[in-house]
Amino acid sequence: MATAEKRARVAIIEDDPVLRDELAYAVGQAPDLEVIGVADCLTAGRELLARGVDVLLIDLALPDGNGVELIREIDGRTDGIKVIVISVFGDAQSVVRSIEAGAAGYLLKGAKPAEAAEAIRTVLDGGAPISPSVANHILARMRRPPDAPMTGGPALSRREIAVLTDLAKGFRYKEVARLQGISPNTVGDHVKSIYRKLAVNSRGEAVFEAVQAGLIRFKD
Amino acid sequence: MPQPFAVGRWLLAAVIIGLQILLSGLLLWANLTAENAPGRLIASAGLVSGTGVTPTALPVGRCCAATPLVFRVPLTAADMGLADPALLISSAQDNAWLYVDGRLVAGQGRADTVLSRRPLLLRIPREDFRPGARIDLVVTRAVGFGHLRPFHLGEYRALYPSFLALRFLRSDLPLTNAIIGAFVAAFCFCAAPLFGARGLLLSLAGLSAGWALQHVGLMMTDPPWGPVANGGLYMAAFLATLAFLVWFFVEWTSVLAPPETGPGRGWITGVWDAGSRQRLGWLVLFLCGMGVALIAARLQFDPAVGLQDIDRIIGWLGLATLAFCLTRLVAYYLSGGGRDPIEASAFIFVLLAAVADIATVRFIKSYGIFLSAAVTFFPLALLLSLAVRARGVFEAATATADKLNLLVAEREREILGGLKDRQRHEREALLLEERARIMRDMHDGLGGQLLGLVMRARANRLTGPALVDGLEQSLDDLRMVVGSLEQSEGSLAAALGAFRAQIEPRCEAAGATLVWRIEDVGRIAGLGPDRTLQIYRILQEACTNALRHGKPDRIEVRLQRTAGQGIVLSLEDNGRGFEPATVAAGRGLANMRRRAELIGVMLAIESGADGSSVTLTIPPDAWREDG
Repeated sequence: MATAEKRARVAIIEDDPVLRDELAYAVGQAPDLEVIGVADCLTAGRELLARGVDVLLIDLALPDGNGVELIREIDGRTDGIKVIVISVFGDAQSVVRSIEAGAAGYLLKGAKPAEAAEAIRTVLDGGAPISPSVANHILARMRRPPDAPMTGGPALSRREIAVLTDLAKGFRYKEVARLQGISPNTVGDHVKSIYRKLAVNSRGEAVFEAVQAGLIRFKD
Repeated sequence: MPQPFAVGRWLLAAVIIGLQILLSGLLLWANLTAENAPGRLIASAGLVSGTGVTPTALPVGRCCAATPLVFRVPLTAADMGLADPALLISSAQDNAWLYVDGRLVAGQGRADTVLSRRPLLLRIPREDFRPGARIDLVVTRAVGFGHLRPFHLGEYRALYPSFLALRFLRSDLPLTNAIIGAFVAAFCFCAAPLFGARGLLLSLAGLSAGWALQHVGLMMTDPPWGPVANGGLYMAAFLATLAFLVWFFVEWTSVLAPPETGPGRGWITGVWDAGSRQRLGWLVLFLCGMGVALIAARLQFDPAVGLQDIDRIIGWLGLATLAFCLTRLVAYYLSGGGRDPIEASAFIFVLLAAVADIATVRFIKSYGIFLSAAVTFFPLALLLSLAVRARGVFEAATATADKLNLLVAEREREILGGLKDRQRHEREALLLEERARIMRDMHDGLGGQLLGLVMRARANRLTGPALVDGLEQSLDDLRMVVGSLEQSEGSLAAALGAFRAQIEPRCEAAGATLVWRIEDVGRIAGLGPDRTLQIYRILQEACTNALRHGKPDRIEVRLQRTAGQGIVLSLEDNGRGFEPATVAAGRGLANMRRRAELIGVMLAIESGADGSSVTLTIPPDAWREDG
């Protein structure tokens, strides 16, 4: 939990120097956040993590690989690093892939300093930012044809689907809360639950696909 | 046609023919040897009275001098050397009565029967055997195979082998053949419905039945139904056999004709069609019925002479029938190129044997034995031939199945290939369309905006805030393009959801609250990225207009489905309204109209002192056709 005395430690991995500096500046403006380092590739980024990081802002298209790889690695660790994906368009495909890999939220590139700090705080407080197109994308994934690989993971509840549907129409947390007759916090809880289920499902899928591809062999 | 076992089949045919010829020769030899029995040959006979029977005179020249007739032999001293004297009646007479000095001492059957073929060996009682004793043998001069043959007086033991040989030739072998014939008849009759070639099997059944019935007539020399009826049975069966023989061979040579044998070679050697063969079958049945009636009528009138007349007529009919069958058969096997030698040999030998037998009996007045030999081997040859045929059918079926499988596999490959081609073409067409659309989108928005910025920058007319504003607009447009691509499954509500982030910051920056009232209007057929983007741009323009000209503090975006009208999307503000005549507003409105027209939706723009509204109405099924 970030406090005024102890500032949250933020690391940034972004290969575009202009965007990287802009972002580092914007985050550094916030009194409760501290940028402990920036990196321009996955390798350098991994070294950064060893220095003790609370929040990692990461771009997906990096010179030495896809950011999703690192997100997956971090998801397997127990040091509780929160990951926020930085994206030009916040397009659902890449954001949902990151969320499946274990990311907690996303941030549009070129966001104003206040927005960036707000997004990081939300994530640190356990919130889960979601855009209408991401919500819509998740809904579409849930309606996949039945011949897609069954993950056996948990399915979304009726309420979660209703919340997602409203979010996809562009409603804010407060508006959704009013429409559904629940508190805005509960909406946030639902979204977190959805993200968790998505990550679990995607792990099941990853295992399934790996077995299909012959990468993993179970002992007979 | 080349057959893998053609040589083997020819060999088999040769073996069968060889065996038939061998057996025929053996039988012929046995027949002659047995008739040439050791002992005194007694060949003279006459019409004598004084015995227990009265000889009957028949008109000379029609058939026979008399029936029955009496052989009278006085015993001489030379005969007294016999220890166990006996008489061998070699041919045809198992009906014979033996009188010594007018007293009946041995015999069996009836002396007046007309059909008889078995040999008879009769002992003469020793006490009656003395010089000068008068031996009278009463026999019947019979018809058919029962031509009168000489008989022998001799030692019983010496005559016995000849008796056995003759009995085998004239009784045992024909009986066996008759039993085989009965079985074939029964089998064919039962199996006829199972095969396609019903006529073939039915005719074979009739043929075999006739053959068996003939033997009933021949065997029953003293039948309970009387000698005349028995003679009639034999004659009718003979006639039926001939009739069915014609039918059978017409069927065989037509049904089993090789496909290259075309019709039009005449009714004797040509192929008969199914209708003609069926009519022939009915004709055969009719002829059999007619034959039975005629024979019965003739026998009522004059049994003894009648039987011989009928026998002669049937004999000639038989020769004609056999000639017809032989001609057909030879033509059939010649046209088939000798493709089935076993079958050909069996058939032709049977027919030749029948001709030989009839000729022997009729012209040489000897006993015919060839048919017996031929008929013995006939079922064997027929079975072999059928087995070969069946194997051919199975092989052909297997080959056909293989060919079909290949064909199916090939067609499957073709179809799959075609499907893949089509899918590839569809994919390519889709990609081209998509590419064209994206280029259009870029040109329409982003391209123009960037170009404008560049021109203004070149002219040094671009200040810092204007540059940021222009670039942000460009980025907004790019985001709209991306957003329009992201929306899926025709949900306009979801598409607008993604758009909210686009205009809300601008509204707030201008001091206006965005009120978001989006209802779920369900899936809209045909709402693709293209139309979504046009709707985005109309809304964007509307929002820009409202913020720029009206200075409102509240902008409301509303989406709802109305009864009958379709789907209504509106953007309203509570500003001062705008003057459509101004240049900037005019261009914006024209843009919106153009876009609305492009995607086929109705656009209504209202403006007044208390605000303005832009309303898009999507008629029901607006995009159904190409959706």
